[in-house]
Amino acid sequence: MFNRLIHFGGIGVAIVFVFALSIMGARDAGAAVSDVHTSPAVEARIITAENGIAAGARSVSAALDLELRAGWKTYWRSPGEVGIPPEIDWSESENVKEAEILWPAPKRFRAFGIENFGYEKEVALPLRITLERPGDAVMLRAAVNLLVCSDICVPEIFELSLDLPKGGGIDAQSATRIADFAGKVPDDGSASGLSIAAAAIAKDTSALVLTARSETGFSTPDIFPELGPEVAFGAPDIRLSDGGRALWASVPILYAGPTLPELRVTITDGTVAATQTPDLTEDLPKPPFTLRKAVPGLGDVLAITLVAFIGGLILNVMPCVLPVLSIKLSSALKSGNQTRTRIRSGFLASALGVLAFMWALAAITLLLRSLGLSVGWGLQFQNPSFLSVMFLILALFAANLFGMFEINLPSSFQTRLARADGTPGHIGDFATGAFAAVLATPCSAPFLGTAIAFALAGRGIDILLIFTALGLGLAAPYLLVAARPKLVSRMPKPGPWMIWVKMLLGALLALTALWLLWVLVGVAGTRTAIFVTLGTLVLVAGFSSGRFRGRIGMSAAALLAIAVLIGPGFLTTPAPAASPVSATTWVAFDRSEIARLVSTGETVFVDVTADWCLTCKANKALVLDRDSVASALAAPGVVPMQADWTRPDERISRYLEGFGRFGIPFNVVYGPNAPEGIVLSELLSSQEVLDALERASSGSELTRAE
Amino acid sequence: MGVDRRLVLSGIALAAGGFAAWEYGPALFEGPLQFEPIDDPAGFRKIEGGDRSTAFDPFVGLSSQESDPNEAIAEARVRADICSALYGGETGSADVVPVASFSDYYCPYCRIQTQKLAEIENRSGGRVKVVWHELPLLGETSDLAAKAALAAKRQGAYVAFHKRLMKSAFRATPEYLRLLSDDIGIDHDRMVADMASESIQEELYDSAALAGIFAFVGTPALVIGKTVIQGQISDRRIEQLIELERTEGIDSICSTA
Repeated sequence: MFNRLIHFGGIGVAIVFVFALSIMGARDAGAAVSDVHTSPAVEARIITAENGIAAGARSVSAALDLELRAGWKTYWRSPGEVGIPPEIDWSESENVKEAEILWPAPKRFRAFGIENFGYEKEVALPLRITLERPGDAVMLRAAVNLLVCSDICVPEIFELSLDLPKGGGIDAQSATRIADFAGKVPDDGSASGLSIAAAAIAKDTSALVLTARSETGFSTPDIFPELGPEVAFGAPDIRLSDGGRALWASVPILYAGPTLPELRVTITDGTVAATQTPDLTEDLPKPPFTLRKAVPGLGDVLAITLVAFIGGLILNVMPCVLPVLSIKLSSALKSGNQTRTRIRSGFLASALGVLAFMWALAAITLLLRSLGLSVGWGLQFQNPSFLSVMFLILALFAANLFGMFEINLPSSFQTRLARADGTPGHIGDFATGAFAAVLATPCSAPFLGTAIAFALAGRGIDILLIFTALGLGLAAPYLLVAARPKLVSRMPKPGPWMIWVKMLLGALLALTALWLLWVLVGVAGTRTAIFVTLGTLVLVAGFSSGRFRGRIGMSAAALLAIAVLIGPGFLTTPAPAASPVSATTWVAFDRSEIARLVSTGETVFVDVTADWCLTCKANKALVLDRDSVASALAAPGVVPMQADWTRPDERISRYLEGFGRFGIPFNVVYGPNAPEGIVLSELLSSQEVLDALERASSGSELTRAE
Repeated sequence: MGVDRRLVLSGIALAAGGFAAWEYGPALFEGPLQFEPIDDPAGFRKIEGGDRSTAFDPFVGLSSQESDPNEAIAEARVRADICSALYGGETGSADVVPVASFSDYYCPYCRIQTQKLAEIENRSGGRVKVVWHELPLLGETSDLAAKAALAAKRQGAYVAFHKRLMKSAFRATPEYLRLLSDDIGIDHDRMVADMASESIQEELYDSAALAGIFAFVGTPALVIGKTVIQGQISDRRIEQLIELERTEGIDSICSTA
């Protein structure tokens, strides 16, 4: 429960952060921006990376930039059950041959039981515009048909115009924005590391079942299948396994037409996304684990229930709970004059108190789940904050069990407990039980957290079973006494054996803590792990030296604990964005190096590219990363050299100018037979690249490579 | 760890409560209804501050065809008797509250609202009458879906049609229309004939003219008695308005009855 609070805090911080960013991102009037369409729902404009059309340029990188006001949405190319994607008519434009919309990965919206896929807040739809007459001025006239919905759906029909004269120059702001959203367009899986392993449609066309893999592990995956305009899909059931690397999903098909066109599936996971067209297989992939089977294997349920029961039993010897139990037992011992029936019913009431608390937890869990908090099992082990909380708690309790410091119950609790126990009648007994369970929470958090995480993914009945078993375990001593009241007098007396039990438990907890730390290193990096470990050590040292006493001491301890818990959020560097798996190892551009390499008989392929350059991305996906070209570039004697023009770079600009070019994509091949370089066309073809490589080289290397 | 557990627990409870209130609160704590009259057409009113649509340019007729003479004719026809155009003569008895529903095929919420209204109508035992209008705003498919909906309406299957569309996208193909008419149990040939009929075209012009007069910017839109509502509205609000309209009567707009 603790980590959920932290989580709420994290969201708050994130909101403020995003807000700050959006203020900073407010644009000034740039050169490559069209007039603005403004309505209560949306602010729309066309932006281009280029300020003008460079000599010989065949394409323009543009985007339809939409800023949607709070509550308004617009749709993806496949809008879900209903809705319509944005449409742009370019027929009034000059010198535009074709304009292709590249769709950034969508977000899922659920309202009134309808699944919709689209965008909110802001989106720039990157546009790859090819020109009719290369190098000539362009007049962009976009007639936009945009459906925006909040609690009302409004069709917005408007025109935007932007003229690009002949000339060069890049509008840095527009280019950055296009690059940002071009980066959100699903790739073919090569850079995102996402791939679909298998897909099949159930015989009765009730569902599409598929499996997928992520090289770096899924964290917040979603699935967007497309099967022609006629087929609508419901909400997917997504299950992860293999440490989050394997995904299994079943997407209900709400309605299927008589014929099924080619399947296209988009997987999103946080900031990465991939679209693939898997072949359909006959056999439905099996889920890694079952959640909603009519009878989820009696064995499974029994096993989980048993684990929960044992967990509850162990809670009794935890430092927080042991005192409650002993108070209860000793009070029963003292009042020897009580009848057996009175002792029995008293202890039963206490057991009921324990169970009542557990059922309350179960109810809260059910409520959380109904609020949509269905966390996939295992996902929390990828959350650095969760891992840090767990590590901190486990380390502190291990230290406590090793006797480094004592955990004292708040005195108010102790008084109340004593008072409650003194209360005549069963209400007092009931309260004792409930108190025992409440007091157990600090010690049981690791167990309860696990149970809750599991329960969130389970059925209602599972949740009830798990928590009941936990409660029964925790209440077992009371139930035992209720069954055999005589046992009270035969309880083992406190003694040195308790120290050994404590040491053993401490060692177990320490081992678990170490394991969590190891997971944390993998998720958040060594830096975070060292930070969390140091913070925890200071806390333990402070507690054991007794420095955290009194109000000031406690506040200091709390501050330190919060720092340990929040730190990972800031320290964690996002997982290295799945290093591109392209076969080509590019050498950084160095103009002076070209001549030297050529003089030693090497062939040099220069690729000038940028993140915002949409045609460059097309060249990369369709030509440079394809097998024939990629292996030619990887062949010995060929040096692939890449110049990244994403940020203005004087050296690259001058290099381009040397060829009379002011725009990209730009590719040149140098070799012993072509020391001045062979300039390739903007839209590459495999054949052209291979031919140029062969012409430039002395011939021998390439024949070897083929 | 001497942190007061009660503090933590109450914090959690507070956070959970706050979240629930934020999520479900608005539906529970709607204030009392306040109305403001609208200038045109006279006698109608809207809920004060009740819609987000006021700042939009009022939408201009069907798609992009400018100055279609039929639209001007329709507007004149509708203006002559707004009440019958809106409620199709369903104002005979003082006890019946008429509701006019405007929906579009591409509007996700419209299909939900259609079914909610149908349920309210069924429950009322004849004391609420819903009149269905189609307002196809987004191109040809939208227009054809509207015609199919109105053709289904002529065979008493308007709600069934919308329910069926929840499952799959409308396709303007002969095969699709056959499948659709079989699924909702209506006569296929009659539907196809009706879709091409003058009367449905006229009905669409009338609905569009009404939408223009009421300055609807999108869908769903409702007129309950003499109250105009744009956008999604809760069931409770709808029922509340129906009862209010029942006590107040709609003589101010439908005096012909």
